[in-house]
Amino acid sequence: MKKYWAIFSTQIVNSLAYPGDFLGRSVSIVIFMLIFAGLWRATFAAAGTESINGLTFPNMLWYLLMCEVIELGRPRVNRVISEQVKSGEVAYLLSKPYNFLVYHFFHGLGDGGVRAVLNLLVGIPAVWLLVGPLPTLIGWGMAVTLAFGAWILHFCMMSLIGLLAFLVEETNSFELIYQKAVFILGGMLLPLDMFPGWLQPITKSLPFAYMMYAPARLFVKPDPTLFWQFLSVQWIWIVMLIFLLGLAYRSSVRSLAVNGG
Amino acid sequence: MSSITVTNLQKTFRAKRKAAGLGGSLRALVRPQYSSVEAVRGLSFQMEAGELLGFIGPNGAGKSTTIKMLTGILHPSAGEASVLGFTPWKDRQKLAYHIGTVFGQRQQLWVHLPAIDTFMLFGKIYELDDKDVKRRIGFLSEAFEIQDLLETPVRKLSLGQRMRCEVAASLLHRPKLLLLDEPSIGLDVVAKQHIRDAIRRMNQEEGVGVLLTSHDAGDLEAMCKRVIIVNHGQIVYEDKVSNLKRKYLASKMVEVRYAEQVSRDFHLDGVEVLKVGHYGVKLRFDTHQTPVQKVLSHLTEAGDVVDITISDPPLEEVIARIYQEANPT
Repeated sequence: MKKYWAIFSTQIVNSLAYPGDFLGRSVSIVIFMLIFAGLWRATFAAAGTESINGLTFPNMLWYLLMCEVIELGRPRVNRVISEQVKSGEVAYLLSKPYNFLVYHFFHGLGDGGVRAVLNLLVGIPAVWLLVGPLPTLIGWGMAVTLAFGAWILHFCMMSLIGLLAFLVEETNSFELIYQKAVFILGGMLLPLDMFPGWLQPITKSLPFAYMMYAPARLFVKPDPTLFWQFLSVQWIWIVMLIFLLGLAYRSSVRSLAVNGG
Repeated sequence: MSSITVTNLQKTFRAKRKAAGLGGSLRALVRPQYSSVEAVRGLSFQMEAGELLGFIGPNGAGKSTTIKMLTGILHPSAGEASVLGFTPWKDRQKLAYHIGTVFGQRQQLWVHLPAIDTFMLFGKIYELDDKDVKRRIGFLSEAFEIQDLLETPVRKLSLGQRMRCEVAASLLHRPKLLLLDEPSIGLDVVAKQHIRDAIRRMNQEEGVGVLLTSHDAGDLEAMCKRVIIVNHGQIVYEDKVSNLKRKYLASKMVEVRYAEQVSRDFHLDGVEVLKVGHYGVKLRFDTHQTPVQKVLSHLTEAGDVVDITISDPPLEEVIARIYQEANPT
């Protein structure tokens, strides 16, 4: 396990190699939050109400901050694998004594972890200034627990897409489809509570809900019953996707053709 | 004792074919067509522990594919291989503890970090003790002359400096076998010499076996004792390097450029004039018949030399001669 911890910590150092660029990129979360604040202020004003489906305007902004932090910190493992396959550097990764997917897990966790922490450090004061104080401590506890599971779900999905690179090399189009699915079905565009009644159970049975909606919803409206319910469904999806990922890896590594001989 | 045994190893790739232009792209979308490329066709050979074996051939001969099968990265289409007692594609992770790999056109060092960070990371990956890693880094940095490079971000190193660090990194865990895939590609003469010297030293001092692929006959002459030449995925020659040199690498080409116009007859016994111009000449000669010294004296007497290059015949030419001798008709 020490080797994976070393990969994680080396990637943190690697992520901070260009601090100026890193800080510059984290400013983007402030811009996103300002846009969301304008949009939702207008929506609440047009609806003429203090809350929509149980969520107030401040709830909405904190909900969206959590979604953005998860989105910006999610692993880009498909791009990394695709690049490694195209450049042939996958040869080095496969000739080292570690599990290829576990390597990418800790590599991605180092990268995503730094981005998530920095986005929180910049995003929290921005949203606080816009709509007032932070959600409760219990909300934080539930959100962080579910956000970690959400990160694992993202990792599994992005790795499945990444492994397609062993066959088709370029995976950007698949990522684009996946990103839109998470955007809509994951509750980033609209919290799932605002979906029509018939659609809510369908979306809540899909893995996308547990990649964004579940942690963000409990962040602003902590509920112990919902927390355990969300956590169980989330981990059922994680176990299923890890199983699928294992099968996909075993099959794709056999069909790998390294570029350049 | 054998460190590598390969029996009838084969690898066939399926390559997508597409006609030129938009029409070809659309047809390939609707009805994709594939062709089979036989990269390796039934290779069989052995390598002894601690041996320096050259595995050479022109581009596309199947050298890199063979090395990737021997490291377990690629699965063969048929055949068997045993590397240090492991079947590479079945025991890839276990084998990785005992071998080092260098792929000339790729990089294993983290480019944004100083090489020392990757060395320390590799120490953890190969499960080495921290003190041992530091001692080992000290030894390797002296052997490869990289003491002053270790704390510079890898992206700021020249290709030659980076390759020295790459090879040193692959030796950190004291592998029994080093698989080098075109380690000198793109390097200048001095950088090539640095790497060749360091690898020879590691072989002598630590007994690490070296399987080296290259399309540069110079690598072979400088480092290897035995050679296997492959072409189109098959072995076309297998012998001691000394025999290969005697038979096929005795011929040299020399190209000279002069500061002023020269009007000399360059003909000399045993020397073939390939090209002659006002400012230069290109000759080919057999070192058995005409010593290098004699040819160089002859050339330098003609005028002020500004540039001179002595090269081996291209491998393609050597392979053509081997074929010719095998099939005299």
